Amino acid sequence: MKEKLIRWPLMVLAAGTVLAPLLWQVTMALKSSGESTVGFPGTLLPKHPTFENFATAFTEIPLLRYVGNSLQIAGFGMVTNLVLATLTGYALARIPFRGRALYTTVLLATAVLPFEVILVSTLLVSRGLHLNDTLVGVVLPQAVSIVSIFVMRQAFIRIPGELGEAADMDGAGPLQVFWHIMLPSVRGSLAVIAVLGFLDSWDHFIWPLVSLSDPAKYPVNVGVQYLSGTFSADQRVISAAAIVVMLPPLLVYFLMQKQVFRGLAEGALKG
Amino acid sequence: MTAVATSGVRVRTSHKAKPQRKHRWYVPLFFIGPALILQITFLFVPLANTFVLAFTNASTIGGGRFTGLANFSELLADTAFWNAVGRTFLYMLIAVPVLTIMSTCLAVLVNTRLRGSGVVRSLLFSPMVLPLAVIAVVFQYLLNSDGLVNQVLQGLHIVSAPVPFLNDPTLALLSLTMVTVWKGCALYTLITVAALQNVSPELDEAGQLDGAGWLRRTISVTLPQIRGTTIMITILASIATLRVFTEPFVITGGGPGDSTETIVVYLFQKGIAPGTDAGYASAISLVLFAFVLSVSGISWLISRTARP
Repeated sequence: MKEKLIRWPLMVLAAGTVLAPLLWQVTMALKSSGESTVGFPGTLLPKHPTFENFATAFTEIPLLRYVGNSLQIAGFGMVTNLVLATLTGYALARIPFRGRALYTTVLLATAVLPFEVILVSTLLVSRGLHLNDTLVGVVLPQAVSIVSIFVMRQAFIRIPGELGEAADMDGAGPLQVFWHIMLPSVRGSLAVIAVLGFLDSWDHFIWPLVSLSDPAKYPVNVGVQYLSGTFSADQRVISAAAIVVMLPPLLVYFLMQKQVFRGLAEGALKG
Repeated sequence: MTAVATSGVRVRTSHKAKPQRKHRWYVPLFFIGPALILQITFLFVPLANTFVLAFTNASTIGGGRFTGLANFSELLADTAFWNAVGRTFLYMLIAVPVLTIMSTCLAVLVNTRLRGSGVVRSLLFSPMVLPLAVIAVVFQYLLNSDGLVNQVLQGLHIVSAPVPFLNDPTLALLSLTMVTVWKGCALYTLITVAALQNVSPELDEAGQLDGAGWLRRTISVTLPQIRGTTIMITILASIATLRVFTEPFVITGGGPGDSTETIVVYLFQKGIAPGTDAGYASAISLVLFAFVLSVSGISWLISRTARP
């Protein structure tokens, strides 16, 4: 009983601190254009709730185009991450080759390399390959995350060895073993890195910011911060746009919590 | 994860005792090739290139001659750079302790079976999936002179004039660290809660029998058992704050003046636009890398000596 009395108010306070900025965005986005954006507590809530700011965000600022760009980038990034991390993780776990231990160590070591350190050089490489200012060029440098590779490696290591050996006896080739026996056993981890890949791509900021020079190609988060700076910004419309950008990851988070937690925890542990 | 990974290697090597099926040479290549090509192009070549460029006067549109240590001696005398370094370390000194202590407290707070605690946990962890750039835009409005925080402070008559959270050179950096804390607490609390759930209840029960109170048991029995996790959070937060870019770039643009210009913001200004000095920017990148490696190294040493 005493525990409740102490924990409850504190938990409400913590949840409130997280929620307050987000709820404030919602009330702001629902305010009609005549309403003041300031004034606590009197005018905190919209007097005439309206969705016109969302309509404005989609029609008058290029939010729809940004969302399209982001969906392409996140979708493409999710697929490359799934395919490449699964293939590499499988090789690191179950296919012996010369230099495998070295390659594993090198990959782990690159975890301490912040992307910002190679930002300038990556930009030069990207310009050299004429990938600048293209959506493909945004995805490729971060097409496969090392975290995902190691999530898959762990998953394949956990599969008992007999499973593959039995198939080997039956004369199945390495690709058949991989496709028909190994892949179906790691479905859970595939879901984890799919979710992780999507969230990562949606969040990437500095690379799209420097590699894209045409604002028409911006993904949502680069676009929204760009607009909040240049658009003779109507705070209500920007708030509506911010909500649109935050909804997809929140939706993924609340629907796929198990996968998100597993992926982020394993990722954080690796650094 | 590192520990898990190495134990994984051991599991495999023990398997090697059995006769293992030999694959043809192209089988491993098929599996690692695609990712390897991308990593060579966008990871290993840029990394090597950074080391080469740092010793040249190359511009971001090409060219460049070998200039030896010229970039580094220029960097050594560049007060704007060292101011940015100082600010970044100040940022780290403010944000990291707050992040570590708050995440630990929050984790202890929500690590309970009380009704509704599941919902609170979900809410508390949710900022980790929100794009930082958009969070930054939201907080820019929030901390403005007519933003929500000032509205509340003035509405409750706590202050008479708006607090210049973002316009005062000293206050601005502090305000930015609070954004980092708001967003970062989510992930670090999640990691700490996961660690707390792995703590065995036996020691706690023993403490209970000895008559130790809840606070006493938490501080002297539970928290020491997750010390490894706490140290790891400190390391992760330190490295994250050394790289801080999005908060100052979006919220203050490095200002007012240059009061929130961090290392990466400075790097961004020096080496991104076409025609700027790629050689000099590469030298900055290498110094940043050295800082990150030193912080990782020092933390690693501390975590080794701290281990019981």
